[in-house]
Amino acid sequence: MIKKERPKIYSQFEISVILFYLSMIFFTPVVLVFTYVFEVDQTLNINTFMFWVLMSNCFAMLLGSVMLAFSKESLRRIVKPTYRVEYIYLLILFMFGLLGFVVLYDYMGGDRAYIANIIVVLLAGFVYTLMYLGRKYFKFDYMRKK
Amino acid sequence: MKKRQVSDESLNRIIKYLVITLLGFAIIFVAIQFNDFWSWILSAIKSVIVPVGLAYLIALVVFPFIKYLEKIGIGPRFVPVLIVFILTGGLIFIAVKYLAPSIVDQITNFFNRDFQTIIVYFQTDLRDDFIFGTQIYDQISNYVAETDIINTTLDTMIPNLIGSLTSSLLPILTTTLLLPILLIFYLLDYEMISEKMRTIIPARYEKDVAELGSRLNKTVGSYLRGQIMLMIMLGFVASVAYKAIGLKYWLVFGVLVGVTNIIPYFGMIIAAVPPTIYAMIASSGPGPLMVLGLNAGLQFLEGNFLQPYIMGKNLSLHPIVVIMSILFFGSLLGAVGVILASPIAASIREFYLFLRQRKKVQRQQAMSEAEPS
Repeated sequence: MIKKERPKIYSQFEISVILFYLSMIFFTPVVLVFTYVFEVDQTLNINTFMFWVLMSNCFAMLLGSVMLAFSKESLRRIVKPTYRVEYIYLLILFMFGLLGFVVLYDYMGGDRAYIANIIVVLLAGFVYTLMYLGRKYFKFDYMRKK
Repeated sequence: MKKRQVSDESLNRIIKYLVITLLGFAIIFVAIQFNDFWSWILSAIKSVIVPVGLAYLIALVVFPFIKYLEKIGIGPRFVPVLIVFILTGGLIFIAVKYLAPSIVDQITNFFNRDFQTIIVYFQTDLRDDFIFGTQIYDQISNYVAETDIINTTLDTMIPNLIGSLTSSLLPILTTTLLLPILLIFYLLDYEMISEKMRTIIPARYEKDVAELGSRLNKTVGSYLRGQIMLMIMLGFVASVAYKAIGLKYWLVFGVLVGVTNIIPYFGMIIAAVPPTIYAMIASSGPGPLMVLGLNAGLQFLEGNFLQPYIMGKNLSLHPIVVIMSILFFGSLLGAVGVILASPIAASIREFYLFLRQRKKVQRQQAMSEAEPS
């Protein structure tokens, strides 16, 4: 008899690792989104600003990694049937991250005529990643009918 | 054929209901005679209800955060309340200091530079661009010129607007000043106020009313929290996206997207109209199709990704129900009705579900009691 493979249940530790490292990847772009709206580039040198944001990003990543390593055992003991709140956080992070990459492209002097194309390509990639992560790790199948 | 007899009991009941109806009409008739008195009483009640109601709604939004702060060990109660007030004050300060000047600048620039171009466009170039043809355009413009409809409407609208603004200025000012004070007391004694309100209810209904109240609080609270979050997020995203595609007055149009998002379904359509028209008229910047596409994308993002998960299942009403409730409560309560249509509809549904559930439990209890042991 062929046994049906049970889906693996992931603990809060795995979910926290995913959320933390994705937050770190999107950290600089998300900060840039806010600088874009508040037009920080008109008062500060954006290159210097970006350098300091990247430095803070690296520092936060180191600190967060150490904290994750320390709380590994306690987080492993927490298991939820679905990670709804965490998934919503991921949704918002991806949304601002998408905008952040567009802002980064604009700051780097890219042609604005291609922004729509970039958004479409990035959006497709992000939606696929979100659905994959939701289905596999967060036990949150977006495509399933309610 | 034997004539069906009406029993004395039924006759008594019919007479009773007739008398009650007639008495009801008589009371309404007498009440109408004292119209001024009632409007005086109503305005007094309104002046109390508005600030207290607003404080209650804000408390619903803020209270879970205060509870969370207490849960992680920040206490006594006045410390989390103080943190919430400082954070809110900081956010208001940032908005006023950094965003408001940009918005004012953009609006001033629009009226100084582009408004004239738009007027000229409507008077001259629109005739050639009109999608239904020049003949229909001429007929419309002749009708407008003959009836002088624009001037007549403006002449009646502007004094009314100024009148209502000046008459509501004092209540708005009073509410703004009272609100923080009321909110402090409400947040400090949130549980005590709920307990005191429970004591007013007769003991027979206390459990049911408390259960219903907590359900309604949860529904309205989650709606308000979700709606505020959506408004801020969409306004922000729209502003950045408009700026990225090079649309002038991106902040004003972005804020418009955020503000109008409070009206379900219609809000995004209303917000899409001004930037699309502007993109159509402006000589530089993105085309109207791009702006329209961006708004459609935002609507898709909001409707499919953000709203279902942020708002939760408590407010998953069918679109037809939402649109009907907007039309009904909009005509009943005006702008406030349009804004509160969804939570009111969700509350009514929650109330109905509660009654049905209660009836089911009562029926089951009656059946179990009737069964022989």
